[in-house]
Amino acid sequence: MNVVDVRIRKTFATARRRTFSLDVEFSVPAGVTVIFGPSGSGKTTILQCIAGLDAPDSGQISIVGEKFYDSSQKLDQPAYARRVGYVFQDLALFPHMSVARNVGFGVRVNRTEKPRLVHNALEKFQIAALAQHRPAEISGGEKQRVALARALACHPRLLLLDEPFSALDDELKHGIIADLKRWLHENAIPVLFVTHNRAEARIFADRVLLLKDGKIAGEGNIQEIAALQPGWVA
Amino acid sequence: MNWQALILTAKLASLVSIILMLVGIPIALWVAYSRRRWKFLAESVVALPILLPPTVMGFYLLVAFGSDSAFGSWYQQMTGRTLAFTFNGLVIASVLYSLPFAVHPMVAGFRAVDRKLMAAAGTLGARKPKVYLQIVLPLAWPSLVTGWILSFAHTVGEFGVVLMVGGNIAGSTRTLSIDIYDQVEALNYHSANVTALTLLVFSYSLLCLLYGLNQKLVLWGAR
Repeated sequence: MNVVDVRIRKTFATARRRTFSLDVEFSVPAGVTVIFGPSGSGKTTILQCIAGLDAPDSGQISIVGEKFYDSSQKLDQPAYARRVGYVFQDLALFPHMSVARNVGFGVRVNRTEKPRLVHNALEKFQIAALAQHRPAEISGGEKQRVALARALACHPRLLLLDEPFSALDDELKHGIIADLKRWLHENAIPVLFVTHNRAEARIFADRVLLLKDGKIAGEGNIQEIAALQPGWVA
Repeated sequence: MNWQALILTAKLASLVSIILMLVGIPIALWVAYSRRRWKFLAESVVALPILLPPTVMGFYLLVAFGSDSAFGSWYQQMTGRTLAFTFNGLVIASVLYSLPFAVHPMVAGFRAVDRKLMAAAGTLGARKPKVYLQIVLPLAWPSLVTGWILSFAHTVGEFGVVLMVGGNIAGSTRTLSIDIYDQVEALNYHSANVTALTLLVFSYSLLCLLYGLNQKLVLWGAR
């Protein structure tokens, strides 16, 4: 069963007064789907349209059967109503809040229940000891963990990851991805993960969408992609 | 030193700066984030007191406060009093006259907040009021302090609008700047000097506080 169905058409201006057209149609099943493509191929725009942070010129976006965007019906639900978790490339942690407050920001339960849920998310991502620290006081890897815990603590319908691991070394990356996979497995949250790093795609993806010049150039699991594309190892 | 004028000026400036915080924050948020095409028209209205001669603004406010205008007659019906040459009239005039001094620093502060933080809050289910209250205002609070101090100091130093709208009534509309004018007219230079020097020291101290605070915040932010 597909979790996300996306049809996006969008033309926008890029540097040097050029225009770029994004025209994609794809479905995302349960598990981790990687959108792989070079910089400037429209990966982040796709995520932003799904999250409600940007609007396509036309198309439809539905998540678990519920339509969030439909240009023909002039439907465009705001980001706060979509329940889509988003981890930004630069993480966008709230600098004036502690780690615990960052993680609890989107958790909507009663006051007695909230500390338990926040603590649970902190524990799962091994950052409970940092609960009272501010983002400026923790390391890059710890910040990644906070950003993931924050996005997942409010139990989103879908998790969008915009190259959040690009600044990490391999050892850290593997540790964080292992924790993330554990959480995703326990909570059955589908993931759309954007990257231009083949190694990240290989260790994380159940399915890969190849994006080139604003269009889907191929899709399949790692073995299928490796058979199609030079430079990929299954 | 005219203590009555000093107390009246302090009361006026405190009241005006508090009202400007309540009124200025929503206006500044709208100016900072609205995408309306006609936003520049509203921005120009807010900034008008910076360019407009105080006498022009004072004149039109005096007309608006009169019982011949819709606003003036409505106020008179509601309260049984007129606004012209009263403390309440002075408060309204000062709020309008000092509006850009409160709003402009706030707009600059709000625009400096990283939009990604607001987007992140949105994806976490936060609606605009929560985003403003929990993300934008705490991160832009130095600009709120700047707006508050500037509007307070500007109100203390007002002359033209105060004279036009409030006149020169002891205990009701005679502020320190009007008192200096009175003393000079009466050739009482010593008394005028004492009050002027008080205002000079006060304004300098306030600006030192403002710039000192900003410097401290810049250093704190760079940690």
